[in-house]
Amino acid sequence: MAVAAAAARVWGSSRGLGQAGLLLLRRPGARGLARSLPQRQVQQHFPSLDDKPQFPGASAEFVDKLEFIQPNVISGIPVYRVMDRQGQIINPSEDPHLPQEKVLKFYKSMTLLNTMDRILYESQRQGRISFYMTNYGEEGTHVGSAAALDNTDLVFGQYREAGVLMYRDYPLELFMAQCYGNSSDLGKGRQMPVHYGCKERHFVTISSPLATQIPQAVGAAYAAKRANANRVVICYFGEGAASEGDAHAGFNFAATLECPIIFFCRNNGYAISTPTSEQYRGDGIAARGPGYGIMSIRVDGNDVFAVYNATKEARRRAVAENQPFLIEAMTYRIGHHSTSDDSSAYRSVDEVNYWDKQDHPISRLRHYLQSRGWWDEEQEKAWRKQSRKKAAWAGASAGS
Amino acid sequence: MAALAATAGGLLRLRAAGAEGQWRRLRGAGLLRGLLQPDSATGVAAQRRHVAHFTFQPDPEPQEYGQTQKMNLFQAVTSALDNSLAKDPTAVIFGEDVAFGGVFRCTVGLRDKYGKDRVFNTPLCEQGIVGFGIGIAVTGATAIAEIQFADYIFPAFDQIVNEAAKYRYRSGDLFNCGSLTIRAPWGCVGHGALYHSQSPEAFFAHCPGIKVVVPRSPFQAKGLLLSCIEDKNPCIFFEPKILYRAAVEQVPVEPYSIPLSQAEVIQEGSDVTLVAWGTQVHVIREVASMAQEKLGVSCEVIDLRTILPWDMDTVCKSVIKTGRLLISHEAPLTGGFASEISSTVQEECFLNLEAPISRVCGYDTPFPHIFEPFYIPDKWKCYDALRKMINY
Repeated sequence: MAVAAAAARVWGSSRGLGQAGLLLLRRPGARGLARSLPQRQVQQHFPSLDDKPQFPGASAEFVDKLEFIQPNVISGIPVYRVMDRQGQIINPSEDPHLPQEKVLKFYKSMTLLNTMDRILYESQRQGRISFYMTNYGEEGTHVGSAAALDNTDLVFGQYREAGVLMYRDYPLELFMAQCYGNSSDLGKGRQMPVHYGCKERHFVTISSPLATQIPQAVGAAYAAKRANANRVVICYFGEGAASEGDAHAGFNFAATLECPIIFFCRNNGYAISTPTSEQYRGDGIAARGPGYGIMSIRVDGNDVFAVYNATKEARRRAVAENQPFLIEAMTYRIGHHSTSDDSSAYRSVDEVNYWDKQDHPISRLRHYLQSRGWWDEEQEKAWRKQSRKKAAWAGASAGS
Repeated sequence: MAALAATAGGLLRLRAAGAEGQWRRLRGAGLLRGLLQPDSATGVAAQRRHVAHFTFQPDPEPQEYGQTQKMNLFQAVTSALDNSLAKDPTAVIFGEDVAFGGVFRCTVGLRDKYGKDRVFNTPLCEQGIVGFGIGIAVTGATAIAEIQFADYIFPAFDQIVNEAAKYRYRSGDLFNCGSLTIRAPWGCVGHGALYHSQSPEAFFAHCPGIKVVVPRSPFQAKGLLLSCIEDKNPCIFFEPKILYRAAVEQVPVEPYSIPLSQAEVIQEGSDVTLVAWGTQVHVIREVASMAQEKLGVSCEVIDLRTILPWDMDTVCKSVIKTGRLLISHEAPLTGGFASEISSTVQEECFLNLEAPISRVCGYDTPFPHIFEPFYIPDKWKCYDALRKMINY
């Protein structure tokens, strides 16, 4: 800042402000805590010949032309991706070069989640559980981000992040126990289905009110920073929840209090029936980050490597630099909002089919695996059979 | 001062006469003149602030907690916070303006002593303050959040009621935010009007999962605040702002705790039970003296101290003895906490009651500015209600 170059002058005594100056000159005496005076901070230097704005509130230049800033929504923040829709790496230098075992874990986590979703959705339809929310189409956002974290990083979710728990090897039995509210449920049967929580896997129990987890995650990150824990906190939320006041509160606190937190927004196009065009008028959620002073990026949420890369780098820097990062993962909610929703009431089947068939995180990764020779039809068939059996068995025992 | 006291005395005598009509005539110019104090230098009538509606009664110096120091209520709070931060390295204090010492000076000196990572300002956002505090507490660290005025706690209502209060229950005790304490200045202050005078304890009394505490004095404040901070449940600690400076007594320098959910019988009696909390305790104490002096009625005075969970046993035991109950609070009558006490007491002590339970509270209106003296449940309203109960 140019003003820093000017000689610092303490305002008060030289401006004849008398009492104020006196306050600055007095020092807290030995009279005890209750009597000590607040220390005034020197906010401004006043170089009288400099024609720069001196306002404490903003660091900027003067301009003499009246011009409003046009929000850029036609070509907003670009979407970072590593693979194309056919699972081919576009820019080899962005390939994370993950070992086969790890990428297979990505694939198996996403597909097992998908299978479990089918079983539990059906369970609700059959009256075996009261309610369910699927994760169709967003598996890449869960698994890509979870894989980039340490196992002890604390997770605050909204309700559509079961894949994070799946990646952390939360057993199917416990997912289902929570949904059935049976005696094995760690949550003791107190909440509706999909309100998972696991202390051992550092996944804070889900609650229904939206966005309440955002300022909480920031507090947890602050405490982690104080504890020198080398831990990041990740906070997931949808683009709808980002409209809540709590989201604004969380972003602002994270930036001002310098917290090691990753804000991960799953922008899936809908908040129940409300499309993004009715949720916000700006350039999505990523564009809000800079407004708070937060490092931000938009990624292709259906590209598990893009999600992985962005989260990995955000994690590294959030912990190293004690600052928040905002990742807006663009994706699509293929399923209904929940078992209480029929999305054909507000969107076309064609639109849903496009995403299901043409741009799905699971198929894109499968193409990648196949092109690497790490997966084939045989294995696919076997795995499907195995995961269905596993999930069906877990479902049957949970309900008995 | 003497002239004012004499005028005020005259005022009080007129009010004691009791007739509604006489009282109505006093409102307006007559009353105002009664309050004016002639300026001795110029002879021009100068206005003075209304005298306080209570007289703070300090408790005798506590003997069992070691060395004491004369402290007012905000200093007692500072002392409690100082003790907490000294003992618990995870403890942090945050909220609007706490860094320079706070708008009520409750956090003076703490930032210098404990560092800017432990005593810090947050942006102006109550929902953020409480949400952030919950998050700190979830990791097991001690979070002491300050809401600048209880009147501004409402943006945080969702975080308090839907999140903090339910954290342990909904997670099956996997997670909790028990190490969260929220402090807020509370109650009438003489000129606070709608948004600097509220007593919102009743809103939170309806919420299982949190504790709500209101001290009547510096000694009580420090002990109760320390208990709230130690308590394994999220607590809301309301500090009567009118007592910040007005209440001065000897307070132990070392930490000590006063148990939560225990009411205190500060004066024993046999004819009527009077229950209040915070500033109002001093009002009913005076009412008890008036009743003894003018009516020969012996009052048992109870400071409830913890609103949620409240000490039903002490109150009921007292009513079983006296047969009469008067509850008083500044907060509006309808849905005020007196209604809960009244309902429980009539369930538990029905056959012991000699008269209907009396509630002397604020009116069902927003808290006014210039009309504050008429709004608050002052000693004359309480005395009047007590007299009616005695003569029932």
